[in-house]
Amino acid sequence: MKLGSRLCPRLISAFLISISLWNAPATPVVAQEQEELRIATSYKLMTLDPQYANLNENTSLLSHIYERLVYQDEKLELKPGLATSWRPLSDTQWEFKLRENVRFHDGSAFDADDVVYTIERIRDVLKPPSGGFRSYVSGIKSVSAPDPLTVLIETNGAVPNLPLFFSSIFVMHRPSEGFQTTEELNAGSPPLGTGPYRFESWSSGESLRLARNDDYWGGKPAWSKVTFRVIENPAARVAALSTGEVDVADAIPARDVASLKERGAKIASVGAARINFVQFDVGRDTLPGVTDKSGEPIANPFKNLLVRRALALATDRGILVDKILAGYGTAAAQVFPNGLPGTSAKLQPQAPNYDEAKALLAKAGLPDGFNLVLAGPAGRYPGDAESLQAIAQSWARIGVNAQPAAAPFSVFNTKRAAGDYGVWYGGTSGEAVDIILHTLLASPNPERGTGALNFGKYQNADFDGMLAKAESIEVGPERNAALAQATELVMADQAIIPLYHFHHIVGYGPLIGSYVMHPRGWTTAMQTLPAME
Amino acid sequence: MGMISTALGRLSQAFLLLIAMSLIGFIGIHSVGNPVFNVVNIETATPEDIRAATIALGLDQPIWRQYLVFIGNVVSGNFGTSYIYHQPAFELVMSKLPATLELASIAMLIAAPLGTGLGLLAGRRSGTLFDRIVLKASVSALSIPSFWLAMMLILGGAVLTGWFPSGGRGSTASFLGQEWSFLTASGLWHLVLPALALAIPNIALIARLSRSGTIEVESLDFTRFCRAKGLPSRRILFRHTLPNISVPIVTIIGLQFGGMLAFAVVVESIFSWPGVGKLLIDSIQLLDRPVVMATLTFIAVAFVVLNALVDLFYAVLDPRVRLSS
Repeated sequence: MKLGSRLCPRLISAFLISISLWNAPATPVVAQEQEELRIATSYKLMTLDPQYANLNENTSLLSHIYERLVYQDEKLELKPGLATSWRPLSDTQWEFKLRENVRFHDGSAFDADDVVYTIERIRDVLKPPSGGFRSYVSGIKSVSAPDPLTVLIETNGAVPNLPLFFSSIFVMHRPSEGFQTTEELNAGSPPLGTGPYRFESWSSGESLRLARNDDYWGGKPAWSKVTFRVIENPAARVAALSTGEVDVADAIPARDVASLKERGAKIASVGAARINFVQFDVGRDTLPGVTDKSGEPIANPFKNLLVRRALALATDRGILVDKILAGYGTAAAQVFPNGLPGTSAKLQPQAPNYDEAKALLAKAGLPDGFNLVLAGPAGRYPGDAESLQAIAQSWARIGVNAQPAAAPFSVFNTKRAAGDYGVWYGGTSGEAVDIILHTLLASPNPERGTGALNFGKYQNADFDGMLAKAESIEVGPERNAALAQATELVMADQAIIPLYHFHHIVGYGPLIGSYVMHPRGWTTAMQTLPAME
Repeated sequence: MGMISTALGRLSQAFLLLIAMSLIGFIGIHSVGNPVFNVVNIETATPEDIRAATIALGLDQPIWRQYLVFIGNVVSGNFGTSYIYHQPAFELVMSKLPATLELASIAMLIAAPLGTGLGLLAGRRSGTLFDRIVLKASVSALSIPSFWLAMMLILGGAVLTGWFPSGGRGSTASFLGQEWSFLTASGLWHLVLPALALAIPNIALIARLSRSGTIEVESLDFTRFCRAKGLPSRRILFRHTLPNISVPIVTIIGLQFGGMLAFAVVVESIFSWPGVGKLLIDSIQLLDRPVVMATLTFIAVAFVVLNALVDLFYAVLDPRVRLSS
């Protein structure tokens, strides 16, 4: 007994010392680790099936393993990927020429049949709840492979955006027979792609380990090993970066940027190809929560353009961008940051003008203002719940009493779908301007597939016509100009109040020379260049 | 006979508990929101996608039918497939169990001896400086919110000094078909801070409990007789006082251990420790009902088993329990 009690502390300290000796070299010796890249990401990889769910959470990490026919560069322009060129043969026919000498990670050659397999798997095999990718291929009538390096696609009607759609679809390898199921892929039948990194191991929602694909067609990838650690808590991501446990951390909160810089980390950021906005319900005659000052329900005021204009004029984007997003946001006047294809240079964010806004309200017959409930998700987008407060304060200056109501994202969606909200804060993203216009602002029409996110039932026949016309034009400057015009029209009608484009912020440590930001917001090892010795 | 009826009573109690828990959990998660919005990408999905996914998940059925289907599946050993991860829900929970189990065990291995020891000594010397320090420290340790404690441990142990990693499990080794951190040096190193964060409030709790027990027992006649007989005070403390105060301590250790298995959410989130608690809170946020139900069921069973173990332990510790049955 006595001996034991005396030995114990010594044993423990010996034990601790031995651990510390084991671990001591891990931090200071950098040269040995040079080859391994460690990334802390907020995107949790939930499945290894690249076609299961169209969520950044999955696609960001899987883009190391799988590749797409077409890539989008930092300006969102299309660039060759597994396809070297593509051209429309007619309105409804496309030809894609594939890259030669591309091999899957098991050594087998990549050819046109794999593209056929990929499209068939998404279109015909995967069953709900998976199916986020189906909308990209639903316009495809048939696909064939006349020779190993050519894919012929026939569409139902014109689909000028087909190459763009292929920038979201990961190409899988056709197995010897049948189609791979999601269960098989998750259970560890190793994911087989052509990408710059090979799959080593994963743990859903925890980590993903990758190794360099030495036979990569695009040249030797920079890192011999890449480890992703899923860290959803932003403070924990920041801590991991500042202690040097990881080399890159994504989705850094703007408020932590200064302290990270003090600790020597570098920061990269870019305006996201997405928009956060206020959307109105203009479909119904009365709205929940919208009352006059005495609490009596009033007719839906948002049907009146003057009221929408007044609220837009009374929205102070400066506070949102400078204070809430700490400068890591861009005030918005349209659906994408100015300068990206399809945006209009004429649309610039307006400074608030409360007098004019008040005058507009009076003209609309609401000189005393009214009450409303401003709903929004909490914790989904940077600055979401705080923005509700700030907007409510601005609107109070013209007599509109807004009661902010923030809810978790899923609750918010459930309630919005149930019609519990009259006006709300929302956000959306897309591969291109026309996709956002198509889903967010075009009149809801299930047959044409428009207006899926137009929860407010906004309808504008002129805009629908202009958008449809623009969408029929081949991708290029002419199409972009037509899209910009349509945007000008719909923004003049104040269908939404554009608020801001938040910035993707990435922090990185001394191992990294530079990090190339992409507006789509994925976090990948390919964007990470090692520091030069 | 007595044993069997006790066991049967226990079992039926556990069964009722499970039914009640599953009902509350099921209705609770159902009324929070519709999980389909987390399954499809709401920013790109068409109404048709949403409708198809709703039907595929069986969410178009009335709630009572969904519940009956769920119960039916559970009886045949199937908790369903996670909406989010698309893996069998129960397997998912079990795959997170080793991480939680080792964290909770190590935290309790630190907390139980340390807390009991401190409490015994403080109670023995009640009123002294040492006692006052233990008392004050335990009050503060109990009143510190666990997220703050965890943050301070990261600040002090990782960010400022760099002694320990700020989060994650480190490397793991395979044992019994599962991955364990405590078998590797790096894993143990990663365990230190989260285990401390879990252990500190428990040290305080156990110390307070054993201190008050000690003070009570030390004033009883039998301790005075021991002293009068000339037994050394250490022997009195460990052979006579300790067994007499151990019943409430074992109870609290059992309860707290169960709590750590299930609800170490804050610590697991901050240290990005991929355990059951973190899975539960993530799943609640994503409304991943199969995983939530599987986790809750596991937790309920774990509590029932722990309580049964604690009861068995009473019999080992306390001869009166043994003799009465």
